[in-house]
Amino acid sequence: MQAGLRRGLPSRDGLTAWLLVAPAVLCITVLFIVPIGYVLLLSVTDPTVSLDHYRRFFTVPLYANVMVNTFRTSLIVTLACLALGYPLAYVMARRNDAVAVVFLVAVGLSFWTGFVVRTYAWLIILGNKGPLAATYALAGWGKPPQLLFTSFSSTLGMTHVLLPYMVLALYGVMRKIDPSYMRAAEGLGARPFGAFRLVFLPLSLPGIVNGCVLVFTMCLGFYITPILLGTPKDMMISQLISQQIEDLLAWGFASAIAVVLLACTLVLLAVYNRFAGLDRLWG
Amino acid sequence: MARQVPLLLASLAAIFLIAPMAIIVPMSFSKAISFEFPPPGYWTGYYAQYFSSHSWLEATANSFIIAFASMALTLIAALPAAFGFVRYRFHGKSMLNLVMMLPIIVPAVVSALGYYSFLSPLRLVGTHAGMIVAHSVLSIPVAFLVVAAALKGFDRNLERAAMSAGAGPLRTFLWVTLPVLRPAILVGALFAFLHSFNEAVVAIFIAGRDASTLPKKMFESIRLESDPVIAVVSTLLTGAVLLGVLISLLFRQRPPRGERYAA
Repeated sequence: MQAGLRRGLPSRDGLTAWLLVAPAVLCITVLFIVPIGYVLLLSVTDPTVSLDHYRRFFTVPLYANVMVNTFRTSLIVTLACLALGYPLAYVMARRNDAVAVVFLVAVGLSFWTGFVVRTYAWLIILGNKGPLAATYALAGWGKPPQLLFTSFSSTLGMTHVLLPYMVLALYGVMRKIDPSYMRAAEGLGARPFGAFRLVFLPLSLPGIVNGCVLVFTMCLGFYITPILLGTPKDMMISQLISQQIEDLLAWGFASAIAVVLLACTLVLLAVYNRFAGLDRLWG
Repeated sequence: MARQVPLLLASLAAIFLIAPMAIIVPMSFSKAISFEFPPPGYWTGYYAQYFSSHSWLEATANSFIIAFASMALTLIAALPAAFGFVRYRFHGKSMLNLVMMLPIIVPAVVSALGYYSFLSPLRLVGTHAGMIVAHSVLSIPVAFLVVAAALKGFDRNLERAAMSAGAGPLRTFLWVTLPVLRPAILVGALFAFLHSFNEAVVAIFIAGRDASTLPKKMFESIRLESDPVIAVVSTLLTGAVLLGVLISLLFRQRPPRGERYAA
């Protein structure tokens, strides 16, 4: 940073640029990177200076299970979001009528309503006095299976909560695909599905990558939904962190787990950054 | 028939998105004490309870105070930064651009742990100041991305025209640049506001009792007791967002080349 400042000084432009970006960069450095540094510090100093927390995390099978479960759940949620989100974004991008507007309102409403509110809805739906249980009783099937507080409810809830992110990532890319390409393909004899597979799908690929990276990384560290809907039997990383703090007051170990989570996220995004440039992730 | 398959799948996905949120509305008028659907009877008693509950109203006020204050601070930092990054080349730019994105890259639970350890020795845990600091920083990338995107599409010939017509740099900025960017700045401000208003994880860790916001109070109420007022708050919040989305649709610019998309 020092070198950059010195090299920037001779030109007036360089100095102006530095003055413009300095407030934000300084804020983030002092009030964000430093706090993250505290987590790093705590993970190797609380209660004593050692790497024991990391050794424990990487040797105890229980924690390996948590990692595997976190990655597996994130993968399932990402694929479910893609399967649900792709047709939705496709219709929104290709149509310009009332249907597209209704879908846009649905996605916008979900996107801007907080995670807690939307997770709460699933507590009602899957609860033992909820509409699902009522349907079972009405159909005479007796008691429904236990759905709430399982890894199923947690996965379902996260899919619901993260779906708008996938749709908006896809929509941003699909909207820029010129519809005349599809018409050209059809005019040259391609069937509708062929035109989609050979023209539209490849052009929408950057949106698929963006949406998947966004949803997967958000899911890895997701806190609210797994804690409210999930089960301690199939924990995700965030549940483990919460349990260590609330039940055991083990701040040092919780910090070490948080550092591992951060490292996983940063590695994934670094790979994305290498190939696509991080700027494009948020379109 | 095959042409309708995408529409059918899209409708299913849209129902999956909206139906769960729609269920909250009848729940808020339900007489049941716990989560029960369909409701055994309807009344507005829990609305009355919300509007007379000190702790719920305090959380609501805290949410607004913290979101407004952090929105203002976020803009002060993010606006100049957007100009700096879009209009100038400088050493270390790509690295600093990554630094700018960090608050939305780092998982919220990691930031929350960090803020708790960082703010505790400063005695700022459980204070409005602590929450405002944390939320301001977390919203910087959100506002920055919106304004920077608009700046990239800004036609600088407008500024050149103003300059050649005799306006100085300041006058050009105030009379040409700023008015053109106003919609993007307003959207950036709205995003920053909502980012803070909806933020739950950092709030759960550092808001304490005195600076508790709505998402934090809801999260805790859901875990501890099934307070039926949660459904009321959820309905009010969802209604407010729906209103906002509909209003923003009215002001939406027609997409360029719109007719060609009507397939």
